[in-house]
Amino acid sequence: MKRVAIDPNEGTVGFQIAPMIDVVFVIMLFFMVMAGAVKVEKEHNCRLPGTVETTKEVPFADEQVISITAKGEILFNEEPMAPAGDKLMPKLRDVLKRVKANCDAAKTPAVLTIASEHEAKHGRTMDVLDCAAEAGITDVSFNLVEAE
Amino acid sequence: MGGGGGGGDGEPEFQIAPMIDVLLVMLIFFMSITSAQVIKVNVKGLNLPVSPNGIKKDSTRNEAIVNVLWDAAKKKPVFNIDGREYKELKQVAEQIKLIKKAGERVQAKGANQEFRVVVRGDRECSALSINDVLNAAGEAGIADVSFSVYNKEGG
Repeated sequence: MKRVAIDPNEGTVGFQIAPMIDVVFVIMLFFMVMAGAVKVEKEHNCRLPGTVETTKEVPFADEQVISITAKGEILFNEEPMAPAGDKLMPKLRDVLKRVKANCDAAKTPAVLTIASEHEAKHGRTMDVLDCAAEAGITDVSFNLVEAE
Repeated sequence: MGGGGGGGDGEPEFQIAPMIDVLLVMLIFFMSITSAQVIKVNVKGLNLPVSPNGIKKDSTRNEAIVNVLWDAAKKKPVFNIDGREYKELKQVAEQIKLIKKAGERVQAKGANQEFRVVVRGDRECSALSINDVLNAAGEAGIADVSFSVYNKEGG
């Protein structure tokens, strides 16, 4: 009877590095794409008004008023800036940047009051805050007004 | 000459092992930055406003998170704190006070130890309902308030 020598490595598949690298590449590409598209929660910080002891004189503030109507229209010192559907509000952004530049030049704080009608949407207030943040205006106060 | 990488004759060879190391490190990096951004405190039906110029959320502070949902049919806000719904503003103020009391016993992880209220208001909410939450925060003796927003639409 003929004897056959058995190779212990025969029939077993070795660790394949090439498909592993392929898979890792695909997974990495997926996460790279996801990293750009991910929706993040951000915030706008503010402080509620209160009584503070003043030790030195308070500088004169150049206060501007932005009104938000219940329909979503935005007015800057009673002048229309953006209609209801306009989320980007380029005109308001430009105006706020100019206000900030003027206040910086005059060395006075730029103070903004957002006067919203009772039924004005919160999303609209955040649109205005976004414009203020872009312009670098940090002194913002909120005010509620009755609809006209 | 001894040392140096690669095979014989001074020709550098393509090394697969360091490439796999680099790949895995990059993979872990991208996995961590995508999964870390997943919003933990999500409430069904809450659609935050979008504001790309908002600042990065400070998650190291002691805070009370007040979700303000908008009931479009009734045109009324629904306040949600820690998964429980409140319809009365008085209850909201009391709940904020309780969370503040509990928060004062625990030291915040970050440098800013001041307790704050995070208002996660739906974009359809009325300005009046958000103002009510600010009043409740003021009633609880908290002056530091933050408004939550998303950096972009969709996702």
